[in-house]
Amino acid sequence: MTTGALYETKPLNCWAKAKEIREEYYRDYANAHENGGIRWAGGAWTFGAIPCGLGDDVWSLTSEPYGASIAANKLFSLRCLEATEKAGYARDLCSYMRNYWGSILLNEYAFGGPFPKPDFIWQDHICCSHAKWYQVVSDLEGGIPQFCIDVSVGPYHEINELKLDYVVGQMHDGIEWLQKTTGRTYDDAKLIEAVYQECRSTALWAEISCLNKAKPAPLDEKTMYSLYVLGTLMKHSKVVADFYEELRDEVRWRVDNQIAAIANERCRLMSDTQPPWGFLSVFRYLEQFGAISVGSLYTFGLIGMFEVKPDGTWGPRTTPQEQGIEITDREQALRILADWNLSKPEWQHFYSPHLKTEMMVRIAREWSLDGVILHYNRGCEGLSIGIAENRLGLIEAGYPVMTFEGNMGDEREFDLPKTTARIDAFMETLGIKEI
Amino acid sequence: MITAGIDMGSKTVKVVIVKDGEIVGKHMLLAGFEAQEAAETAFAASLEAAGLTADDIEAIVATGAGRKNAPHTDRDITEVGSGAKGAHHLYPAVRTVIDVGAEEGRAIRCTEDGKVLDFALNEKCAAGAGAFTEAMSRALEVPIEELGPMSLQSQNPTPMNAQCAVFAESEVVSLLHARTPKQDIARSVHDAIASRIVSLAKKVGFEPEVVFIGGVAHNPGFVDSLERALECKVIIPEDPEFIGAYGAALAAAES
Amino acid sequence: MFTKMTEWEQNRHEYAQEWQKRTGGKVMGYFCTYVPEEILYAAGVLPVRILGSHEPQDVTEPHIFGMFCPFCRDCLAQGLKGRYDYLDGIMIAQSCLHIRQAYTSWQKHHPVAFDYYLCMPQRVQSPRALPYLTGELEVFKTAVEEWTGKTITDDDLDQSIAVYNENRRLLHEVYALRKQNPPLLTGEEAMEMVISAQMVDKVEHNAELKRVLAELPKRNGGRETGARLMILGSEDDDIEFINMFESCGATFVTDDHCTGTRYFWNEVIPRENRLEAIAARYIDRVPCPSKDWEERLRIDHIRQLARDWNVDGAVVIQQKFCDPHELDIPATRQALEDDGIRTLFLELDVTVPIGQFKVRAEAFIEMIGDEDLFD
Repeated sequence: MTTGALYETKPLNCWAKAKEIREEYYRDYANAHENGGIRWAGGAWTFGAIPCGLGDDVWSLTSEPYGASIAANKLFSLRCLEATEKAGYARDLCSYMRNYWGSILLNEYAFGGPFPKPDFIWQDHICCSHAKWYQVVSDLEGGIPQFCIDVSVGPYHEINELKLDYVVGQMHDGIEWLQKTTGRTYDDAKLIEAVYQECRSTALWAEISCLNKAKPAPLDEKTMYSLYVLGTLMKHSKVVADFYEELRDEVRWRVDNQIAAIANERCRLMSDTQPPWGFLSVFRYLEQFGAISVGSLYTFGLIGMFEVKPDGTWGPRTTPQEQGIEITDREQALRILADWNLSKPEWQHFYSPHLKTEMMVRIAREWSLDGVILHYNRGCEGLSIGIAENRLGLIEAGYPVMTFEGNMGDEREFDLPKTTARIDAFMETLGIKEI
Repeated sequence: MITAGIDMGSKTVKVVIVKDGEIVGKHMLLAGFEAQEAAETAFAASLEAAGLTADDIEAIVATGAGRKNAPHTDRDITEVGSGAKGAHHLYPAVRTVIDVGAEEGRAIRCTEDGKVLDFALNEKCAAGAGAFTEAMSRALEVPIEELGPMSLQSQNPTPMNAQCAVFAESEVVSLLHARTPKQDIARSVHDAIASRIVSLAKKVGFEPEVVFIGGVAHNPGFVDSLERALECKVIIPEDPEFIGAYGAALAAAES
Repeated sequence: MFTKMTEWEQNRHEYAQEWQKRTGGKVMGYFCTYVPEEILYAAGVLPVRILGSHEPQDVTEPHIFGMFCPFCRDCLAQGLKGRYDYLDGIMIAQSCLHIRQAYTSWQKHHPVAFDYYLCMPQRVQSPRALPYLTGELEVFKTAVEEWTGKTITDDDLDQSIAVYNENRRLLHEVYALRKQNPPLLTGEEAMEMVISAQMVDKVEHNAELKRVLAELPKRNGGRETGARLMILGSEDDDIEFINMFESCGATFVTDDHCTGTRYFWNEVIPRENRLEAIAARYIDRVPCPSKDWEERLRIDHIRQLARDWNVDGAVVIQQKFCDPHELDIPATRQALEDDGIRTLFLELDVTVPIGQFKVRAEAFIEMIGDEDLFD
């Protein structure tokens, strides 16, 4: 332990493995054609379990994490953004999307070589841009078959059979379309296995997030970004579910042994929306004050699936396998998959910011927070929708809130000195001095 | 107790010497390229005005955007903290402080005992209230001091959208070409900036009393626009641009 | 000729309150033209579209982050400022994320007796959308019945559909008079006509449209047509802007706006299940870009409009930050340019800098005119 430190800290043992899984993912996608495999593209939110029924040699490139990977490389990102602007697209559009398009326009893959064109597009439509993102991809690539599922059936507490039928019906159509598009026969057993794995990995991520309720927090949000990303790549894969299990065990061990993410935790915060990926140093800046962001609705609830436990607090959603449900056919698998995904915490706010405020206040309470830092993210209208109302709601609930404007994927819209100046003022109002 | 506050603003450096809560010396200089040098000069000048020497000063606190570069300081506080402290000391009933300087606009809400509850700063697209009025005074070929009184004579203000200062400047040029009276243009400029500042005040949920500090508080045209948009009167201290430095000097007396 | 419509458009609040008093009916403010007005009207409710007032305002900053479109903020400002306090209900049909925020903030900070969020499907191109929306409309109909205390019968729906379809047909007829040279009305008049249709009892609006249709052929010009333009893009009720453009030597002869053709283009085609017929109308209508996927069907429709109305140039506008339109504009402009139709792109805010836009308008009109010289 460093002299003067409150807690012992230690890097994660499974860190290298997370890195390896991510690197392999991008490599497998790029190399898929070498062995006769299939490449598809779609969002991190898409029903990725469904194309699994086409075989084990089907690889995906999820769009948001790919856009974020570009953003983390400032020089490449700038070239991508400029290429997109030159092609006539507005500068205030989703910055992941603009990075992604730029990568196509430049024909450069962020992980080396030319941009690997997908064989088909398998998307779901969550915000105004999601389906249209790929209309443009298809324009730029000279036409790619695409199928996009509409999930806009309302918040989870209002879900009924009619709403599920709409989503599940599209999934059935989607499977027919996949068979026609790829010429392959669909294997329901593989779908069922993928659905089990998806429920498992996303419940595990929720469990890991809940372990961060501990004081000191075993994980800081900056670290969580590198771990949760695996779920955004392939939440339906056994590799990710197994990794999350290993991670869950390690984090639990950290909690039991008071191993902290930062040595001097004295102020617990949460953020909101994607961070400005090129400037994660902001989180290190907080550490000078003994302040730690222990997560956010975004980091917890985009991949993690939660439910309210008997004691009234949030815990991981019980999986079908834990409930002893045996999935026997396609219809049942799709229904479970749809229902599971519609309960995603990070999905509810699309209908009402007030639902999101409720969840944020819950996190603030259960994760014992002292304050909240909201990223007014110019790069993503989908996650920034209603954020001003969230601010009002959190203040009303008694939590101090700081806001800063930035952009997850376009560094030109983020001002580091102004942001740290705001953090200084916020820490001052919280009565926290630099260590 | 004698203390000093140094406000390293983006355009000017302000120094205040405070003895038992009262300002006994003050000085302001353009920051220029050598802000540190300007601060030294302003510090010396304010000591001279107070009839004191550096040895008489028991503690010095810096504030402002460039506060980390201030000379002689014991510690620093943010411009949010110093503005609230200075305003609250002068007017204990203050609940909202509006601070408009050269490059930034701020709204701060505080408690009965002067503690900062919430604050809002302008975002990129609405930056530079002070600098913006200066640019407008150049476009209108009117000395900056006259811009305020001139706008008070406006008969027929036209609403304009000043989200972006660069775009607004060319809008002013269009208005000039359309032979819009300068008085009306001046009023539109003030109304547009005031509207942005009031948005910030509403964001923190402003309550009276409202104290208006920062250099722009000297502009009566802007004050008028601000009061109309807020639908309430604002209190302006005698030396509005020195309140940040004053708050820093008060903080120095506490430490 | 269009004084009545202009009056309605300008005195929208007075009209609605007067209607309320006169009929004892309820007034529903709605946020998007995907709201199935027929169902409301069948229950004796007057649906009025909530629009902004084009004045700078400072009340929405605490509620909507500045990267969302000025239109949604302007709409919310109207509610927060109490200009719509006479409304008995507010509702939205799901479309873009921007306008949704005007609804959710209004709902919380300026509550109204009845509010409703209709899950209008986004993927209107899926065959699954029709049964789904039909089901949602059944739920909606029940909610309206409970709210108004009135049972909505098939007869009520038939009558309502008939009134709405008549309005659509009459608007088409007036638009047809813009095909000829010179067009018998200006773009400004057309805009006032369609916007007033979104605010006025359709029975009254139909009567006025019939009067106008009888009078219009007697109109004898007196106005230079100049360039024949179309205007297309996001929500646009900026009459001052249209007027500025038309004073530079041009006339708008058609449009693709939700305050224009997109609002009235399609009729309800009768079916045994009335709600299904209504659902089909909203699914098959000329789409908002937010629902125009996976295929972009709207572009061909726009090209057809340009041909049918013999357009020389197209003004493509968007509300600042309007993502759905931004995502279609490059492809739309390309398609029009490929057809030999020059385009001018402009971004609208709550207020527009008339001076600066005038320069662009004049240059664009000049450019189109120059091209004619070499035809």
